[in-house]
Amino acid sequence: MRIAPLLIAIVVGAALVGAYVALGGTSYEPSPVADPCVPRPERPTDASGERIELVLLAAADETACTLGVSREELVLALRSVDELEVLARSEGRSRDELEDALRDGLERAVDEAEDKGLIGGRTATALEFAAERLPLGLLLSALRGASSFLD
Amino acid sequence: MGVGSRRGLVGLGIGLALADSSVVTLALPDILRRFDVEIPTVAWVLTSYNLVLALAAVPAAYAARRHPTVAFAVGTLVFAGASLVCGLAPSFALLVGGRCVQAVGGALLVCAALDLLTELEGTDARAVRTWAAAGVLGAALGPAVGGILTETLGWESIFLTQVPLALATLVAVRRLPARPVPEPPGRPDLSANLALLLVSGALTAALFLLVLLLVDGWRVAPAAAGLIVTVMPLAAIAMSSQANRVGGSAVRAAAGAILVAGGLCALGVLPGSGWGWTLVPQLLLGAGLGLALSALTERALAGRSPQAVHGGWTIAARHAGVVVGLLLLTPIFTTALDRNEDRALRAGAAAVLDSDIPPLDKLAVAQDVLAAVRAADGEVPDVRGAFDDKPDEPAYTTLEERLVSELDRAVTAAFSRPFLLAAGLALLALVPIALSRRQVSV
Repeated sequence: MRIAPLLIAIVVGAALVGAYVALGGTSYEPSPVADPCVPRPERPTDASGERIELVLLAAADETACTLGVSREELVLALRSVDELEVLARSEGRSRDELEDALRDGLERAVDEAEDKGLIGGRTATALEFAAERLPLGLLLSALRGASSFLD
Repeated sequence: MGVGSRRGLVGLGIGLALADSSVVTLALPDILRRFDVEIPTVAWVLTSYNLVLALAAVPAAYAARRHPTVAFAVGTLVFAGASLVCGLAPSFALLVGGRCVQAVGGALLVCAALDLLTELEGTDARAVRTWAAAGVLGAALGPAVGGILTETLGWESIFLTQVPLALATLVAVRRLPARPVPEPPGRPDLSANLALLLVSGALTAALFLLVLLLVDGWRVAPAAAGLIVTVMPLAAIAMSSQANRVGGSAVRAAAGAILVAGGLCALGVLPGSGWGWTLVPQLLLGAGLGLALSALTERALAGRSPQAVHGGWTIAARHAGVVVGLLLLTPIFTTALDRNEDRALRAGAAAVLDSDIPPLDKLAVAQDVLAAVRAADGEVPDVRGAFDDKPDEPAYTTLEERLVSELDRAVTAAFSRPFLLAAGLALLALVPIALSRRQVSV
């Protein structure tokens, strides 16, 4: 039995697979999302709209960290209370736990932003009021429109 | 009519019948829309043909061995009639029913064709070589021809074009002398047929998954995808012409299986999402196809008589392999696509949240993308639609490209596991090839 053709086939196949792996073939997949419990690098910003956005993103991180989901999953579920409940249930959380996590997350993010001087006292007060008092559905509406509402 | 013309027409009949195992691959999305059926349901247009061909091949071969000329003519007429029904089918059930009848006719004509070729070629060995080559070419060219016909004339034209072509092959058997009744058939070569089954299952992945990746995954037009996958049959033709210089049938079969595995492994670790990345793996797959299928068919038929019956076994093995490949790999691919779609969605949401577009637009874009994903209902979504009403500014363009890139990554990665599993099937074929080597020497 001639083994040269077999060796050639093995070498050619292995060379191609090796080249593709070296070019990043095994890592060509969707980018991983960041852990919401790990602080993100700070982004310098001047515009007030962007500052509010940073507060809301930080609130999303805080809430997602508490619920054990990614920030992105949380944001995608912000469309309605029902979708948020589905997300919470998938992580074995109740609606009350979800609501607490959302309100606490927003309050912590507002406190940190105020401490850093990112937002002023009146904006912080308005956001804290929303976090503590607004019904969940209204709070979500406020969060979705917060940038324009507070800009 | 000369021997060469008759041989060409018989080869055309074989090619048509075996091309039908994959010819509608690129037409499946159009058929799905035409009859409003689910993805697993539409796959039966492919599966039914291969399943019935696998089941009918051996009985058809027994029927063909006594009267090959009559069997070829009847098989061709049944195939042509059923093709017409498929092309004009008003319902999905009738289309699948037509495909089953087509497969019965195809089994009869392909098995009878082997005996006819023995008459025409003069020797069993040459007949087997021509028969195997026609089958390999038909199976490999099927998706390309189907893709081009679907885009230019519609999916129905695939079946309607086959009718006159199949009927034309009947000229080949006019006044062809009938063969004497052959002796009872011996046992089939189990090892060679098992290897054929495994390699065919792996090649199903090469053809079926590759065209799916190109058309549904990377949004390449069917006709263009059809042209792209012609690299494989071209490589198969080139390698087939040099096959005898490679070595004995066991060496060719083993080298072919290794090349198929190498090509599939490379498709399983694609470093990008452009069709250009598939060209070199296709060269390996085509070369492997040209070597392995013909060599294994020769091994399965070597020294065995009558040829039609053992040819029937090889057809049964090859198409059983196609069915195994489809049934095994489709759910794995579907699950991987769902999982990666979720990952792509999260990565896309991260891209939106971290982008430079105005804060007010971020949630709106994220929700539009989510809506596009849900509207796609399991198919690859068109996320560019979420940017239709957005300003033509760099921040939006960059984000759009990033989202498309994440989706491409997700789709490409979803095909990885099925391709690698298919490579495993090709490597597994080395076991029966090694066993077969001890039993038969060609």
